[in-house]
Amino acid sequence: MKISHLFLFTLLSFGMLAGCSSKPGDNSKPQTNPNDENKTTENTKSKGTIAISVLTMTNPFFKVLAENVEAEAKKHGYDVIVTSGEKDVAIQQNQVKDFIVKKVSAIILCPCDSKSIGPVVKEANDAGIPVFTADNACLAEGVEIVSHIGSDNLGGGRLGGEAMIKALGDEGGKVVILDYKSAESCLLRVQGFKEVINKHNEGRETGKIDIVSELPGEGDKELGFKATEDSLQAHPDLRGIFAINDPAALGAYAALEKAGKQDQVKIVGFDGQPDGLKAIDEGKIFADPIQLPDRIGRQTVQTIIKYFSGAKVEKEQLIPTELYYGKGKK
Amino acid sequence: MSSKGSSKSFSPWKLLSENGILIGLLLLCALFSYLTYEEQQPTGASAGIQVADLIQDRYSPGSNVLIIIKPEPPEQNEFAQAASQALQEYGHTVVEIVVGAPPDARQAWDRLKAEGKTVQAIAATQDVSQWTVFDFMEGFDRKNIVRAESYNWPTFLMRANLVNIAGQIAVIAILAIGMTLVIITGGIDLSVGSLIAFSAVVSCWFIQEKFGAQEASTMSMIIACLIAIAACGLIGLFSGALITTFDCPPFIATLGMMMIASGLAFIIAEGQSIYKIPESFKWLSHQKDIVESVWDTVRFGMGPKDLSVPNSVVLMLVLYVITHIVMTRTTLGRYIYAVGGNREAARLSGVPVIFILLFVYTICGALAGLGGVVLASQLNSGLPTYGLMYELFVIAAVVVGGTSLFGGEGKITGTLVGAFIIAVIRNGMNLTNVESYTQKVVLGLVILIAVLIDRIKKKGLMGKFVTALKNVILILGRMVRSSD
Repeated sequence: MKISHLFLFTLLSFGMLAGCSSKPGDNSKPQTNPNDENKTTENTKSKGTIAISVLTMTNPFFKVLAENVEAEAKKHGYDVIVTSGEKDVAIQQNQVKDFIVKKVSAIILCPCDSKSIGPVVKEANDAGIPVFTADNACLAEGVEIVSHIGSDNLGGGRLGGEAMIKALGDEGGKVVILDYKSAESCLLRVQGFKEVINKHNEGRETGKIDIVSELPGEGDKELGFKATEDSLQAHPDLRGIFAINDPAALGAYAALEKAGKQDQVKIVGFDGQPDGLKAIDEGKIFADPIQLPDRIGRQTVQTIIKYFSGAKVEKEQLIPTELYYGKGKK
Repeated sequence: MSSKGSSKSFSPWKLLSENGILIGLLLLCALFSYLTYEEQQPTGASAGIQVADLIQDRYSPGSNVLIIIKPEPPEQNEFAQAASQALQEYGHTVVEIVVGAPPDARQAWDRLKAEGKTVQAIAATQDVSQWTVFDFMEGFDRKNIVRAESYNWPTFLMRANLVNIAGQIAVIAILAIGMTLVIITGGIDLSVGSLIAFSAVVSCWFIQEKFGAQEASTMSMIIACLIAIAACGLIGLFSGALITTFDCPPFIATLGMMMIASGLAFIIAEGQSIYKIPESFKWLSHQKDIVESVWDTVRFGMGPKDLSVPNSVVLMLVLYVITHIVMTRTTLGRYIYAVGGNREAARLSGVPVIFILLFVYTICGALAGLGGVVLASQLNSGLPTYGLMYELFVIAAVVVGGTSLFGGEGKITGTLVGAFIIAVIRNGMNLTNVESYTQKVVLGLVILIAVLIDRIKKKGLMGKFVTALKNVILILGRMVRSSD
């Protein structure tokens, strides 16, 4: 008879749970930035809220990016909301809709899909909220992105190609690409990589580098692992793997290790996040074009501050990558 | 058969227990309203008039006022018009109305300065007043920005947010209709999430590849959507055939279809997003003209002008009304309950069991297809990764809504409330900045509790449950006290 009563009770206790768990977030504000309290004496009231939705928090790249956005924004007196679409553009869309309802001052997106994110960016445009993209650009038509701040992925891909040529030496051989087709940034990396490899192959009889397949690694450790296992079956004489980010590269290494082919196949990754750099130092990955997510995060916030101060901001700001072969190596 | 009791005497307890989930939903709404009770800014014309009044109070007559607004949304313009008119009536001068971004404000200020004009006050909307550009305007003191005074109101209850919730749940709620029917017959359909992706990809593929991409006509877009929905209906029918003719367990049959549909979606889309779609494809989930036109004819110039929800929400509600009528008023509905209650008894009493099962799986597939079309319209593109894990959210909505996973029992209205409970919890947690991992835990707990209640209802474990709950609350209470 009193079922409904109990149901209410349990629901309420969930509500309390939700309420409680939001508290740590609030409390952490002064904790993360204890030094900044003095700096913002002039303007104790928040200047507004910057909301960011990243592609996935399981990749340390975005974690570093988001943390730097948060730190930089708080330094300038803004509140920050951090969310993650976890690669699902529908979830990301809902997050942006909630940002719009909350009337945040500015939105930073690392789109889960360069094109499908368009409609909700349009909604933010219509609500008068400026949208900035970091890392992955938005390619939808008819939407207004104030500025895109990201790595020079095309240039990075070229560096990856150079690293691969160096890794394989004069022998050349078969190479597999682990790609992530729905992210524009990763398409550019592959494009740059292929450019350099094709140039290398031109007019060359021996020692060609042969790109035998492009498999979906989706920038994911598990999928990178599986795709590599499969390509080792198809191409036992595989010599190189170009993975569009570190998680996929590390997944590929795990597969090589399992097959005992870690010496035969050289991996070139991308990103240069802590675990990736460690793997390069240990010789698991040959080299990485390094991205600087901390710089991307900070520069994005600085661009927002610049925009609100009335200065002109550039539509696209590319941050160059650099090759890393391991500690002290060149 | 149905969960309606036989006693006709009025009992408040019974009323409560039958509407328990509805009350639960309302309490959740109350909770999130409380948690999001915060400062709100008036917008539009009322804010404009308020600002004009404030300027009249604070500044001497005949002051020069600069109005700065953003180009979007329309309320910004309403603000400027109202403020400008009221200020002129008070005898102040509106030097200029600046519409644009911070750089425009700065340019206008520098220009006015060059022309030798003085400005005593700047009237600005709330978001504009937060711009830091005012700190960079030479000879201007931030104190002279006048904006409307804020008031307190829950963000959760803002109209935009309520419309938001309805729009966010439309896809899951539409799928949950079909799932309710399937679960009432004692089955399950795991393929709906993949069917969303399949349908989104198929409809977008036809529009892009066969019907002229961005130039596709409305009619051809409708045909593309119908093809996608029919294809999903066929897949549902196929699952139903496996389940009836070969006595395949529904769990396994639909698990297979789930993978097939997902794989097909990836093959058709080649893993990419299909996005060369006319803008008008967004009509279904972005436009609000159905409600607007109805409301315009009904309101006789009274009430708020903008009382609108997206067309997809209208579609969802219409589908719920139809299904509710079918389930409560027709033989078909009674048959569906009968099949789930006791299949053998139903067969013996002349219910066409096989037909009913084929029917519910086909409908479930077709509605999943419709959901996929709505999602494709929301995102104006088709991507094979859509709908990941949706089957679980859909099943959750149905179970939270009080439909028994053991078949024979359940209400379509309960499912709607269940879908809204999930949407409200998600939205509320987003608004209160609960991070996404915690959100998953909370949603999981809600589902478990709903299933527990279902079992307790059945087995009469009430006494045990109350004791257990008391203990939990006592422990929680102690934890909260000790953590303080």
